[in-house]
Amino acid sequence: MRPDRIISVAKFEFLSVVKRWSYLITTFGLPLFLALISGTVLGAQTYFLTQRASESSAFGLIDEADVLDESVFEDDGGVRVWKVNALEIELYDSLDAAKGDLEAGLIRALYVVEPDYLETGVVRAVQSEKTPLLSMHGTTVEPVLRSLLRRSLMADRLDDEVQERVITPAYFVRTRLTPDGADVVGVDETIDLLVRTAIPLFLGVLLLTALLSASGYLVQTVSTDKESKVVEVLLSSVTPEEIIAGKLFGLGAAGLLQFAVWSSMVVFVAMSASAALSSFVTIPWGAIAVAPLLFVLGYLFMGSLMLATAALGANAAESQKLTVGWAMLAILPLMVMVILLDEPNGFLGQLMTWIPFTSPLTVILRLAVDSSGIAWWEVAGSMLVLVVSTWLSIRVGARLFRVGFLLTGSRPSLAELWRQAR
Amino acid sequence: MPAYVTWPALRSPDTLPPVGILAFREVSKRFGGRVALDDVSLEVSRGEVFGLMGPNGAGKTTLIRIGLDILRADEGEVSLFGAPLDRSTLDRTAYLPEERGVYARAKVAELLSYLGRLKGLKPADSRKAAAHWLERVGLSQVAEHRVGSLSKGMTQKVQIAACLLSDPELCVLDEPFSGLDPINVALVQDLIEERRASGLTTLLSTHLMHQVEALCDRVALIHEGRLVVYGDLEEIRRRYSPHEVVVWTSMDLAELGVNAVREANGSWRVFLPETETAAGYLNELIRSGVLIDRYEPLVARMDDIFVNLVSGGVE
Repeated sequence: MRPDRIISVAKFEFLSVVKRWSYLITTFGLPLFLALISGTVLGAQTYFLTQRASESSAFGLIDEADVLDESVFEDDGGVRVWKVNALEIELYDSLDAAKGDLEAGLIRALYVVEPDYLETGVVRAVQSEKTPLLSMHGTTVEPVLRSLLRRSLMADRLDDEVQERVITPAYFVRTRLTPDGADVVGVDETIDLLVRTAIPLFLGVLLLTALLSASGYLVQTVSTDKESKVVEVLLSSVTPEEIIAGKLFGLGAAGLLQFAVWSSMVVFVAMSASAALSSFVTIPWGAIAVAPLLFVLGYLFMGSLMLATAALGANAAESQKLTVGWAMLAILPLMVMVILLDEPNGFLGQLMTWIPFTSPLTVILRLAVDSSGIAWWEVAGSMLVLVVSTWLSIRVGARLFRVGFLLTGSRPSLAELWRQAR
Repeated sequence: MPAYVTWPALRSPDTLPPVGILAFREVSKRFGGRVALDDVSLEVSRGEVFGLMGPNGAGKTTLIRIGLDILRADEGEVSLFGAPLDRSTLDRTAYLPEERGVYARAKVAELLSYLGRLKGLKPADSRKAAAHWLERVGLSQVAEHRVGSLSKGMTQKVQIAACLLSDPELCVLDEPFSGLDPINVALVQDLIEERRASGLTTLLSTHLMHQVEALCDRVALIHEGRLVVYGDLEEIRRRYSPHEVVVWTSMDLAELGVNAVREANGSWRVFLPETETAAGYLNELIRSGVLIDRYEPLVARMDDIFVNLVSGGVE
């Protein structure tokens, strides 16, 4: 293969794609659209939060059942107020005075502990006509009132320690039995595992999206060459291998550019999140570091297969159908992800590391979930398998490409394909 | 000739011995159970215009594709520039396929420049060559237009320019005149003649027999995958010509005992004896005192030879 010819084909294919309106709209329009939507949502959220912040944080409380422990309320210029969690809860004696303050907007809501509270448990929340009924759910006032009622009901009946356990019955502390038998206190691993799972999942979805998006371009370019008959001119100048490699690199670069633009949207968020999370989760930097290389190798392998099979289709629709099978194979690790997460370095994980269709995602997943169980030579070996498979795929694909292009009108038989591919 | 050609171009046809530029030896090719080519051997020589003829489906395009390494032969050998087929030597060739296509969305100059680079020209040389050949075919004004916006004839000329872009030593033109008006037919003829004058080789595949007669030095006729006729054009025409001459005279040749019949235009069609040549018989007529206004040996037209060979009328 001659590098200058591959570069020429790649450059032409790259420019042909990136100059299309559809590509420009998808690449730049989509992020702008999403930014617009996100901006609108964030703007609206900020507006409502600001509005809420400007509202009174004072609430009224009347104890008609005479059950409350009033020792928490302090006298503040003739008014009994309990200041807790940025809230001001004023204890009223008169329902009329409380309603007057509610109508005047001095308090946001009035809670009335009903006279038959001990039997029914009912605490009536009274709001003014201007306030939506559900708006109190966003505040912390109701949990605070529940807690106050619990303490009041237990006062003088239970000692302080038991009261605390009734309020907070348990703090769960997790430990792990290490190989040397020590029972080590650990942290809650839910978020840690979530992050470790989310990263390979995200990379997997990204790889699949890139593949499916790029396969669209690959099929389109092959169909264009075939339907416009330009391929015969190309084949008289460059080899099928050079055409396939050029198209792969050119369209791959266009695909990577698209994802770079898309990714730039979330880079800031991801970096902020990683900074925030790094204090209590382990970011799988190993998986993140090798992901781009595996991503590119996986794309080249699958792309070369897609190009070769797309050439066998009589038209774009048929070519698209022929390439679906490859995408399904790439999805395989996602389909068995539950097993891989449970046992990342088990037999299935080790097997799929060496299969070029599944190795990119499997290696990323194993590195992310439990990097101690995967050896460096497995990572290097899977990459080598991908490189060799891509080379073979280009070689065989080039022959199928030649047959697929030149036997127009009738689809070549399997025997003919086998003969040409040898 | 453009100065940007990088390989040693052949510019002295008179001083160079005839060399087989493209040679097929006992080439066969099958598609499934169908025989596309059966034991074909022929050679295209340096500096000539070689005509490849045959009815549709005869195997011409398959032969061309094998010669340019687009297809591989099942049996036989192909040599290009005196050596087995090699990708590097293919840079010295160019091909205008019959079913030709272009990237409709590409701009004319951009497309030509791209195709030039695929032939090994450096980017700057390719751009220069594109400008040069667009000027030659009268399309400089549409260099920045999209190919899809051009008329069929203009697109055809873009394709011809693309083919000649790298100034190839061997140019294979498959039906280059289809879709062209008479002015552009003349333009392409001139370009082919220029190539011959420069010692460059052209393989011309066409159904237009008058173009073959006007342009080709040697020809080959392929029918049902087999080589039916191959050789010097004039020699073939003579070989398949009737042994007759046409004589314009005011005298009655039949009365003089000549084996002749009068044609509708007043001329005489004379059937020559087996052993007599046209020139020899002219001398004899003059010696016999026949006053001749005009004397013309009948030479077969390629159209007739083609039809007769393909339909089995000529042995």
